Amino acid sequence: MTSARNIIATLSPLLACLGLLAVWQVVALWLDTESFPTAWHALQTVPQILGDPEQLLNILDSIRRMVIGFSLAVLISIPLGLAMGRSARVSAFFNPLLMMIYPVPKAALMPIIMLWLGVGDASKTLVIFLGVSLPVIYHSFQGAKAVEEKMLWSGAAMGLNGLQRMLRIVLPAALPEILTGCRTGLVLALITMVTSEMIARQSGAGNILFNAMDMAQYDTVFAMIIIIGALGIVLDAAFDKLRWRLVKWAEPHQEILLGAS
Amino acid sequence: MSTQRLATVLMGALPILFVLAIWQALCSFGFAPPSLLPPPGKVFLRLAQQLGSLGFLDDILATMIRLFAGFLIAVVLGVGIGLAAAVVPAINAVVRPLVQVLAPLPKVALYPALIILFGFDHASKITLVTLDALFPILLSTYYGASMVEQKLVWSALAAGTPRWQILFKVIAPAALPSILTGCRIGLVISCIVVFLAEMISSTDGLGHLLVGAARTFQTVDMFVPLITISLLGLMLNGLLYGLRKYLLRGFPEV
Repeated sequence: MTSARNIIATLSPLLACLGLLAVWQVVALWLDTESFPTAWHALQTVPQILGDPEQLLNILDSIRRMVIGFSLAVLISIPLGLAMGRSARVSAFFNPLLMMIYPVPKAALMPIIMLWLGVGDASKTLVIFLGVSLPVIYHSFQGAKAVEEKMLWSGAAMGLNGLQRMLRIVLPAALPEILTGCRTGLVLALITMVTSEMIARQSGAGNILFNAMDMAQYDTVFAMIIIIGALGIVLDAAFDKLRWRLVKWAEPHQEILLGAS
Repeated sequence: MSTQRLATVLMGALPILFVLAIWQALCSFGFAPPSLLPPPGKVFLRLAQQLGSLGFLDDILATMIRLFAGFLIAVVLGVGIGLAAAVVPAINAVVRPLVQVLAPLPKVALYPALIILFGFDHASKITLVTLDALFPILLSTYYGASMVEQKLVWSALAAGTPRWQILFKVIAPAALPSILTGCRIGLVISCIVVFLAEMISSTDGLGHLLVGAARTFQTVDMFVPLITISLLGLMLNGLLYGLRKYLLRGFPEV
């Protein structure tokens, strides 16, 4: 019984994918215009793109920038968020500034950052870094704020100093919330990656997508949409596995994808 | 109490002033040429000037129409589907895998397809905003509604509430805090996405202003739309916060 349910649980996203592709196919056949190829055509173009070394290198470039920007953002944001959560002063200091930056579209800073750092890797990585750091700071902040005071007291009574309490009590207790933030950050990293490359057309997956759009190569456009979409789904699934391993002990209600204020 | 509040506000104002001061210092000590980083005074002056011009207000209006239309559709769909999925297992079985696949998809990549389907006008941008704002609202509605205590439902039933009214009288109000949190995230995302969509392809709106200024290297004009969208986001966030305070009066924690 349980194994049958497991099989259904693992198969259902796959079925959803197939269903969406089928809907696409039907709509494309029904519209029957050259600018909207069928799902089958687009899928056939995918191996062509991935088989072309230049294009593949472009996509790998994108992924590299995303990984670097994401890792840097996580490394800096988690300590800052935890500090904000545990100290009212630190949070009063940083909170208003962060609130002001949050609704600014980070990729929209691209044209300005390009003037300073050029069109290369540095500006794109910086933009991804900015996009990822805010949700991660926010969720770490909320997670650290919700840690029970009693646990910290017990820790202090057992002779842990401030740093040890941070590492051994606050960090694990806030981990589910932090990981929720990282997952939001991952989605935002992908969005910023695509848009930054769309603005600075030099290399990367976004570059291929929007160049194909401008040149009316619609097969390539839709094939790139499939590739980028698949990248998002695979990364998200991999991250979910990692999260599951790290916070198996926490209640399952932490799976709100973009949740918590 | 009030002095403490004042201290908190002052403390928060410090880093903002600090950033402005560094910005000004970079300009006035000549570290950054004005063509790359215009002084803050000039930018805010330009913003004030622009706010008086009709063309700029038209652009703000275009952006706001897209933002609100997309966001409101996302709220209606997200709350509706979220509640339905939490209450009806059959709908849940269909919605869950679809959400699993669609939520992590970077929607901006779909934008070229949306342009082909809906054209360059409002429709494609509103659709993109809706797609991006939908999932955070849907997910937090779903989790909020499925977290409602069974006891509440039982007591309402015992008190004689008809079954079909349970959804509106018990579950929706109990899930309200979670729904509003989702709306807030959806709002921030809407602000970001509407701007991006206008940057990619548009003839009006704040995003279009930024791209136009970038093409002609008018650095001052590049900062103005950015600051405008930031202020717009702050204002909307404040409004939503007020609405939350009003709707959630009487709830144990806001």
